[in-house]
Amino acid sequence: MHIPDGFLDAKTALATGALSAAGLGYALREVRRELPPRRVPLLGLAAAFLFAAQMVNFPVMGGTSGHLVGGALVAVLLGPAAAVVVVATVLIVQCFLFADGGVMALGANLFNMGLTATVGGYAVYRGVARLLPGLRGRVAALAFAGWCSTIIAAAACAGQLAWSGTVAWRVGFPAMVGVHALIGLGEGAVSALVLLAIARTRPDLLPDQPGAAAAPGRVGPFVVFGLLVTLGIALFVAPFACPWPDGLESVAARLGFNHPASSPLLPALIPDYQLPGITSPGLATALAGAAGALVVFLLAIGFSRLVVPREGPALKTEI
Amino acid sequence: MIPAIQLNGLTYAYPDGTAALREVRLTVAPGECVGLLGPNGSGKSTLLRHLNGILPERFPEAGGAVAIQGEAVAAGNLGVIRRQVGLMFQDADDQLFCATVREDVAFGPQQLGLGPEEVAARVQHALEEVGLVHLGHRPPHHLSSGEKRRACLAGLLACAPSILVLDEPTSGLDPRGRRELIALLRSVRATKLIATHDLELVVELCPRAVILDGGRIIADGPTAALLDDEPLMLAHGLERPHILQHRHPHEVKPETRGTKSEAPAPASERAR
Amino acid sequence: MTVLAPPSFASGDPRANRAVLCWPAAAKMAGALVLITGTAVVPAGWKLWFAGVALLLGVVWALGRLPPGPVLRRLLALSPFVAGVALAAAWSPGGVLDWKITALRSGLCLATVILLAQATPFAEMLAVMRRVHVPALLVTTIALMHRYLFVLADEAERMRRARASRTFTTGRRFAWWAAATVVGQLFVRATERAERVYDAMGARGWR
Repeated sequence: MHIPDGFLDAKTALATGALSAAGLGYALREVRRELPPRRVPLLGLAAAFLFAAQMVNFPVMGGTSGHLVGGALVAVLLGPAAAVVVVATVLIVQCFLFADGGVMALGANLFNMGLTATVGGYAVYRGVARLLPGLRGRVAALAFAGWCSTIIAAAACAGQLAWSGTVAWRVGFPAMVGVHALIGLGEGAVSALVLLAIARTRPDLLPDQPGAAAAPGRVGPFVVFGLLVTLGIALFVAPFACPWPDGLESVAARLGFNHPASSPLLPALIPDYQLPGITSPGLATALAGAAGALVVFLLAIGFSRLVVPREGPALKTEI
Repeated sequence: MIPAIQLNGLTYAYPDGTAALREVRLTVAPGECVGLLGPNGSGKSTLLRHLNGILPERFPEAGGAVAIQGEAVAAGNLGVIRRQVGLMFQDADDQLFCATVREDVAFGPQQLGLGPEEVAARVQHALEEVGLVHLGHRPPHHLSSGEKRRACLAGLLACAPSILVLDEPTSGLDPRGRRELIALLRSVRATKLIATHDLELVVELCPRAVILDGGRIIADGPTAALLDDEPLMLAHGLERPHILQHRHPHEVKPETRGTKSEAPAPASERAR
Repeated sequence: MTVLAPPSFASGDPRANRAVLCWPAAAKMAGALVLITGTAVVPAGWKLWFAGVALLLGVVWALGRLPPGPVLRRLLALSPFVAGVALAAAWSPGGVLDWKITALRSGLCLATVILLAQATPFAEMLAVMRRVHVPALLVTTIALMHRYLFVLADEAERMRRARASRTFTTGRRFAWWAAATVVGQLFVRATERAERVYDAMGARGWR
């Protein structure tokens, strides 16, 4: 999901740059205030870990393989502020050292993967883990959070491309979100398995169960990060995704795409994107999205029951 | 004379309750070079970490179990203590955390608050001493194991400590790297405490040896006598080094000559 | 998605008779920034700009006698993102010309960044970052990441190999468990190493 240079126009680059700079600046301030000095080197090591973890291949099918992206996982392991710094570090090094993701697009990439994916993923994780008890609950919560973080990052990315006039929203959004709905399943499963693997060897490294008395979350970071992410989503996604039927049309007109809607890029993946009986495409998209999320949520719970034995993190015989 | 290192019944248990050191008493005179021997898990590294205050995590009120140059190690004077004691870690990659060798060697002097010229001069001198001037710009990742060790040593020497504490300096080195490091260590003028499994290194460098096992000091005495004591060595997961086995038993051992060790007679503190 | 290029530029003695490497890092970074910003925003009609940038990059490349491998490899596999977006752009009614210009911009910027990375030791880039007042905590984190990235990547590779040498089944389920264990173990090791690095920093007077 690293946007290269040349795909974003100046206004998108500036807007995402400003949002990301604000988010990263706030995260650094938070970390400096909250993190004991003992944990400072951990930021750099965690970034190196994330980088190395992204090189571990998970076979998918037919010889292809995927890898972890890790925003939600790192946010759960280290907390949202530290995760923003860690993922931003990885993105910066990838950008300048490996030419992965553009320099002008760095702001957008930081916003999508460094801010939205981590903070969004963390919020989902906390919400779900509060509801579901035990290690199973945490595994299910992270599996779901991994999927959600991938989806929102993809949606934000599609929004930025549309705002720049590079890829029309009605092509870019279904393509990005459709593909990442699948990739996100892998991301969620891998994140959850890694959490489980850590729970087996060093449970003391895991954060406390959200909702437990020992884990008093501060509200400040949530408000600030939440505001920034919401602002960005409002800027990049809302103009295109608003549920009024004429929203898309007006945007298309503004961008100069007055042609009839082209066919979706991946018809097989999202065949019934518009549910029968619902006329507004925006509403249909929202409903389809909600239905998809519910299915993935149930999948996450089923997955956690599959991989976590009832007694907790006992050693599995197959490993 | 004020001892360089003095341990007055140092006892330490890890936060999880595992006892690591029990009533350790050890005195090292200035200029001495002492080899610290013992099987894995005997508490060597834990002991070394106490010498510049990395352990314990929190200093007890009473304190005073560790004294460096006559000064008790406590939370308030770690700066002073760390100026005296240069600690070389077991894994060179942990110690070389900067982007280039030169930056890494400069880290200590910078933390001492020296001016840029003084830092540059010390770095240059330390790199010359270990023979790494030509590799100063390299990232540590691209050094060989031997070069990494020497870079670590340069980082310590740049702080000009009076005491060098080395944890397994020769592990993972090829014979040439090991030889170079030993020559280098011999040339450095400082009090040295070397924890190692490399018994031949101890025979070569250290006139005095200490055996630690189960967190206790088992024996303390002249190296040649101690390491020649096969039953003692075998009982504590060690062995009699070959270098001693090839010597005639009646030959006067050069290592013991002129050793003014304040230590008790060999094996006198032997357990049991 | 991430495609990793091996850091071939980081090996060997980088200063051996290559003048480009000795140019001040700040100038190289500023120049690269100007080229990239310009290439990304100039109107599609400015053919002369694109040609000029390409020429300039080529000249610097030749002057520095840098290996052509990394940039070619990277440009050829211009990352799935570019291909996907180009495809989507071709689908939309914007026209094919647009897509070509986008790929051109993208390629030139990519070449600029790779050239910068090849021609500038990372430590010097860090020094420039410090000088332009990037927050110290961020620079420290970037420096530590860069320092331990290869160490941890090596560890991951060793663990993977050790596991593969004792794996006799080929089930996907097992492979996922195994890979997740490697990643989890990697996190544990990274945490432990962070503690030791902190000790090492403390031992030399940090804080």
